[in-house]
Amino acid sequence: MLNPSNDLLVCRDCDTVHRQVSLAKDEVARCVRCEALLARHHRLSIDQLLALTVAAAVLFLIANMTPVLGIELGGMRTEVNIWTAAASMKYGWSAGAALVLAVTTFFAPMLQIALLLWLLSFARISRRIPGSKGVLVALHLLRPWSMTEVFLLGALVAIVKLASWVHVVPGVGIWALAGLTILLTILSTIEPRFWWLLAERPTP
Amino acid sequence: MTDLVRAAAVGVIACRTCGLVSSRALAQHRERCTRCGTVLRSRLPQSTQNTLAWLVAGLILYVPANVLPVMYTSGVGGAQESTILSGVVSFWRAGSWDIALLIFVASVAVPATKFLALGLLLWTVRRRRQWGREPRAKLYRMVEFIGYWSMLDVVVVALTSALLQFKALGTAEARLGIVFFCAVVVTTMIAAMSFDPRLIWDATVADAR
Repeated sequence: MLNPSNDLLVCRDCDTVHRQVSLAKDEVARCVRCEALLARHHRLSIDQLLALTVAAAVLFLIANMTPVLGIELGGMRTEVNIWTAAASMKYGWSAGAALVLAVTTFFAPMLQIALLLWLLSFARISRRIPGSKGVLVALHLLRPWSMTEVFLLGALVAIVKLASWVHVVPGVGIWALAGLTILLTILSTIEPRFWWLLAERPTP
Repeated sequence: MTDLVRAAAVGVIACRTCGLVSSRALAQHRERCTRCGTVLRSRLPQSTQNTLAWLVAGLILYVPANVLPVMYTSGVGGAQESTILSGVVSFWRAGSWDIALLIFVASVAVPATKFLALGLLLWTVRRRRQWGREPRAKLYRMVEFIGYWSMLDVVVVALTSALLQFKALGTAEARLGIVFFCAVVVTTMIAAMSFDPRLIWDATVADAR
């Protein structure tokens, strides 16, 4: 008899039932009805995932402690990073936009990294992951609201925009943001099912 | 496609949060997913109504977002307020057609595409239209994918107003339009999330509940 929870995979986009298959290296499984992505094989071990997440945490710190962009005008200099960009709109009505920007480019990526660190650290030492259910639901909810890549592109646009009348200096932070974007993109290709199975793994 | 079965037909239900497949008997008693605790439902409740409501809200906000200025700049050359479109035009005139195009796509074309695409999906689902199910499924995934890139202009305005703080030489400040624009991005993202893409197939497939 089929055990629905382990043998079946249901397409999120059209509800078609598929039997689980094991994927070879770099293979992806797509829905036969609507072609939505069902599963993706990845070859990253817990150690490698943890290393990527630690690297992301370090880059996030660098991106927030060094200037992303700086400009010089008449001997004066101003610098900006994710936090000060959002904070520049904190007065009056534009505070609404400041809040959305702070959530999507600061808090969401920060929480994602912190939650992944939590999951992977406990998985690494083969312990039961405390609060794994809440952590995984939170990661699921955060995912669409994390916009590091949009901030990076915005910084590039701002360079071009300002370059015509002031001297723009890209800071260390913009390189950190570029690295962070790559790492978060790699980590987001790991499908949710992997994380849920990781949390359910029997521990010694 | 006769060999394809859908969850409802074989008495199972997939959790929307974690993907765990459970027996349908659980869902009839509004039970929760045994793995993650999410209430099991075969379709998102009132999906088309919610999507329509968020979409209309987004459309209303889209008007002030485009009419009101999003940024105020002052410098040696004088002071001016710019809207999203006038920002695109000034990039174009300055010769940066590539940046003009990028901002036009992210700030004007993407939101407009979202309104049209979600509007079309809602209309076809409510009318139970049979045509083009695969393209419509792809259209939905595209809307989901492009949605958040509209935040680009908000980032640019924030960076510019944080950097240009030179008193008489040059300052920049965000204006009310950017709040409305931000609200358009958020409401249309929620509209896309409220839409249940499984409805596209329900209209036509016999095994739908």
